[in-house]
Amino acid sequence: MATRKKSLLKVIILGDSSVGKTSLMNQYVNKRFSNQYKATIGADFCTKEVVVNDRVVTMQIWDTAGQERFQSLGVAFYRGADCCVLVYDVTAPNSFKNLDSWRDEFLIQASPRNPEHFPFVVLGNKVDLDNRQVSTRRAQQWCQSKNDIPYYETSAKEGINVEMAFQTIAKNALDQEADAEVINDFPDQIILNSQNNRPGNQDNCQC
Amino acid sequence: MEIEQTSVSVATSDTNSTSEYLDAEGESEEIHSSENETFYPEEADRGDNEAEQQQHSIILELRDELGTRPQGVTPEPADSNKELAASVESLALSSSTSAKTEDSQSVHQMHLDDDQHDYQHDSVWRGQKKHIFILSEAGKPIYSLHGNEDKLVTLFGVIQALVSFVQLGQDAITSIHAGGIKFAFMQRNSLILVAATRTNMSVQQMQLQLSDVYNQILSTLTYSHMNKIFEKRKNFDLRRLLSGSERLIFNLLANDSSNARVSNNIFTFLTNSIRVFPLTTAVRSQIVSAIQSNCSKIKNLVFAVLIAQNKLIALVRMKKYSIHPADLRLIFNLIECSESFKTSENWTPICLPKFDMNGYLHAHVSYLSDDCQACLLLLSVDRDAFFTLSEAKAKITEKLRKNNCLKAIDDELKQPFNAKLYQQVLGVPELRHFLYKPKNTAQLLCPMLRHPYKAITEFERLEAIYCSLLHRIHNNWRPLKLIYEVKEQEVVLAWATGTYELYAVFEPVVDKATVIKYVDKLIKWIEKEYDVYFIRNHATF
Repeated sequence: MATRKKSLLKVIILGDSSVGKTSLMNQYVNKRFSNQYKATIGADFCTKEVVVNDRVVTMQIWDTAGQERFQSLGVAFYRGADCCVLVYDVTAPNSFKNLDSWRDEFLIQASPRNPEHFPFVVLGNKVDLDNRQVSTRRAQQWCQSKNDIPYYETSAKEGINVEMAFQTIAKNALDQEADAEVINDFPDQIILNSQNNRPGNQDNCQC
Repeated sequence: MEIEQTSVSVATSDTNSTSEYLDAEGESEEIHSSENETFYPEEADRGDNEAEQQQHSIILELRDELGTRPQGVTPEPADSNKELAASVESLALSSSTSAKTEDSQSVHQMHLDDDQHDYQHDSVWRGQKKHIFILSEAGKPIYSLHGNEDKLVTLFGVIQALVSFVQLGQDAITSIHAGGIKFAFMQRNSLILVAATRTNMSVQQMQLQLSDVYNQILSTLTYSHMNKIFEKRKNFDLRRLLSGSERLIFNLLANDSSNARVSNNIFTFLTNSIRVFPLTTAVRSQIVSAIQSNCSKIKNLVFAVLIAQNKLIALVRMKKYSIHPADLRLIFNLIECSESFKTSENWTPICLPKFDMNGYLHAHVSYLSDDCQACLLLLSVDRDAFFTLSEAKAKITEKLRKNNCLKAIDDELKQPFNAKLYQQVLGVPELRHFLYKPKNTAQLLCPMLRHPYKAITEFERLEAIYCSLLHRIHNNWRPLKLIYEVKEQEVVLAWATGTYELYAVFEPVVDKATVIKYVDKLIKWIEKEYDVYFIRNHATF
């Protein structure tokens, strides 16, 4: 019955507070932007269906809180992610510097099977603003040094590159999924009187 | 044994209910029932209760316990609603962990207040009486009873966040009660299972159902296989392995009024039991010996199970092994929703988690013959045993045909209902329905549903009555032994003795003395016919 080839990708968005994580998600999912800033508490969830390589893929997007005080849930949220989106603000150099620690933190907490090749995507957001402080070159260099993480410069406000960035996110996450078809081993034969089925250890509600 | 008896009579202005309770622990009890808002517990007399184990004094016993009721009235605060594991604080959490920013329009959110939000939500979906959600620890959807789980991924995210948040404090969330809906949570291995209901079902009962669903998943995948997968890949989408078995999960869950199904099946799961196909002892032992004589030499054969109409005809087992009712229910479920078994011999792997959750048994599944629609399962640990078992099955059928057992089964099957049992119930026309379960076995006896419970709304009420009775009798904190309630539309009785539990529903017009008389009659009749409706011991190969 492998005809139904549904795919679901869990995508985590990480980055300092107010770099525009929620705005990016909103732009991507709802095509909307609001100038008002509201801190995300804990996490927010969004969903979007995309078509990648002729497959319909449901993206389950986990928009996390950037503020440190809401980060106790990190481990739980990172668990089982298919892709991690690192966002910084091109007008805030500190948010760029912190990408290192966001990435490390994610790898430690989520402990993916193949950390070297775990699909990250880096987004430099707010390119619509005038006071840019982190150059494209600098960002690209950092991404190259981390196993060639794809890099996009986006504006959640203007909707620049957002669609394309998320398309890449979906594609890279799917590629990752394809390589691990190690699921078809059949369980071992039952051995009677073994630990697993020791007779007499059943509870008292037998038929 | 001395038992302190406390009865509680209810005085409310808007209902004319009367209730009496006896606490098994012998402590005075504050009970609440949904319709009753105020009540006045009274001290009752102490009675010597040695007759407990003895069946002949049923009348006396019931009379003792129900009969005398002193009228001293002690007012009790109206609010004694001590819900089980109500972790209502957890509610605050849903708003903190799933807080939405103003603009986001997540498709589904766990909003409990129906009226207050505006996004167009499927009112049918929202109005379902029961929901079941299964997800991975990572928050990925695995199953939703209603609706496409792909469209509910944000809800699954919220559930995962809730569960994780409580987990972080070295604790586990068990339930949320809000807006007339109960949510029960269960974490097993790498799965999170959640049930939500508007019915009378208690959190414990919902968890029972969740554990049945969990077992169904194990039955398809085995524990070790699922574990291995999640160890390797926490992000695994388990739907890939479960596709094709959703019908089994659905059938298991849709066995109650929430799916507009009027059937006794729900009661077997509520009482963690199975039902037995009624046959005379002579016929049943002939069947058992036909199985024994053709199977005793087959190595690695663990169980032979013969069933019909969701009831057990016979079970023969390997020495030292017994079968758990939860496992047997999985077998019933498999047979009930696999029409294809009727047309051919089948060889299917099935994991019975209570027997061994880490491996598959291999089942030879076939119906005995065209003229006898009973299904025989021969379960072996040997994956190459098909032909041996196929041969054994043919011989068993042949033997059963010769000694007329096929006909005996078929005769019973052809009756639209169990005639004898029905006559018994007809003999007491005021007795509408009952559940009888012996203490020492997980077998349940209940008559066919008949008027008025054939109608879904009435059946819903019956279900609610049993849920509430079972919950109070089996309450871990304060189990009751005897409940007698005069409700608006029926009189109900629940009685847990040392040897059996009885839940009975009568016409609303009967008085207590009549109920006692009828219960006595029923119990005596069941005891007389016990071996027709129950299997005392399961034979071995």
